[in-house]
Amino acid sequence: MDERHEELAAMNALGMLESDEKRVLNGASVADKDLRDFSAELELVASELARLIAPVEPPSNMKRRIHAKMRSSGVKGAGLSRGFVFGSIGWALAASLAVASVWLWQEREKLVQQVAAVSRAMAPVTPVVPSTEKKETRNIEEELKILLSDFETKKAALSTEIEALRKRETDANARIAQLVAEAEALKQQDERSQLQIATLQNSKIWEYRRCEMIVVWNGGKRQGVLLLDNMPRVDSGMDYQLWVIDPNKPDPVSAGVVEVNAKGVAKIAFKPVDVVGETVKFALSVEKKGGVPKAEGPIVLVGP
Amino acid sequence: MAQPEYSEEELLQRAGRGDARAFDRLYDLLSPRLFGLLRQMLTDEREAEDMLQDGFVQLWSKASDFDPSLSKAFTWAVMIFRHKAIDRMRALGRRNRLVESAALEHATLADSVHMGADDAAEAGERSALVREALNDLPKEQRQLIEFAFLKGLTHHVIAESLGIPLGTVKTNIRRGLLCLRDLLKGGV
Repeated sequence: MDERHEELAAMNALGMLESDEKRVLNGASVADKDLRDFSAELELVASELARLIAPVEPPSNMKRRIHAKMRSSGVKGAGLSRGFVFGSIGWALAASLAVASVWLWQEREKLVQQVAAVSRAMAPVTPVVPSTEKKETRNIEEELKILLSDFETKKAALSTEIEALRKRETDANARIAQLVAEAEALKQQDERSQLQIATLQNSKIWEYRRCEMIVVWNGGKRQGVLLLDNMPRVDSGMDYQLWVIDPNKPDPVSAGVVEVNAKGVAKIAFKPVDVVGETVKFALSVEKKGGVPKAEGPIVLVGP
Repeated sequence: MAQPEYSEEELLQRAGRGDARAFDRLYDLLSPRLFGLLRQMLTDEREAEDMLQDGFVQLWSKASDFDPSLSKAFTWAVMIFRHKAIDRMRALGRRNRLVESAALEHATLADSVHMGADDAAEAGERSALVREALNDLPKEQRQLIEFAFLKGLTHHVIAESLGIPLGTVKTNIRRGLLCLRDLLKGGV
């Protein structure tokens, strides 16, 4: 055993070695009994120094904690004495007692914990704030006030902006409504511009000299309304039939049968059965009951 | 039934044979000094409590290994608890930290002597012997040993903390501990 190993053993006794140095010492100790004994001896010498430490009472529950730790870590014989010899009955009783004791102890621990938890829950909340924490709390409160103030300012600005936007939206909606109304008016004006009103009076046929015929024709939609007044009755088995005369078509296009009431009045909406142009003329003839596809009977009224 | 008054060594041996009552009694006798030691080393009440708990569990498990012809029960227990504390300090990364000057001033065993650390009859005599032996050491050796014992630091950190060459630390520790051994042997 050389001086270096003595140094290592001395420092090891005081727990001063690094891990690699401890390995060196352990390795040397394996082959050197003197060194091994020397190390053990110095460890005991160093441990004697603990006699000079001022004693401190551990927490009162420490013994229970140790027993609990022994049980939880499965330490053999924890909480049981192995120093007594029992007979078979005694062992059974001792075992039962031990199990019961452990169970009761665990129950007691649970109850203690529950009571402590309930006590904590029921304890009045009296926050004790150390002075440093109070200072921090004040700082936090001031920061919160500043943040709140900023927030209120921004909130007010946003409210103003939102109000302005709402007003603009209202104005815009009103303007849109106005534009829509104008567009509608223009549309109606346009539609009206496409309307054609045809009238016929003073027919050259004697029975129809007092008859009046008005046709309102929408050239865009290719449909119209017919009004007849003072119309004489037709013979049974006969009907009035309206015709649309398109100059681009060789024959008049039927617009349907017109039923005249007892007063000689008729009002019908009509639509030609075939496509016609925008600018057309109208004629009314007397045809077979139910109408015919191609005019056959006499034309009694013709529009201008 | 009252437990007869056994010595610490007898209690430890009985605990080694599974006598839980002996173990409880041993706890009563040893725990204040061991807890004081752990608090000094770990400087943290909660850590010291945890180590005391773990240490006694280990003590119960290893009690059957105790040989009264080789050591006193107390010193044998101190070895177990110091190893645990040092392992814990290593795990916490404290062993390689430089020590503040305030901590250096408090790392003395001599100051705590007058507090009656171990005043129970025979043990008290042993304490007085250790105190005397320690005080017989040269100051530089005594301070180094006290500091090393209480702080559980590596020799590199101790040298740096105290501003002493590493070689001087090693030499003084070896010489001081050998001297202490001889002094204690003379008193046994």
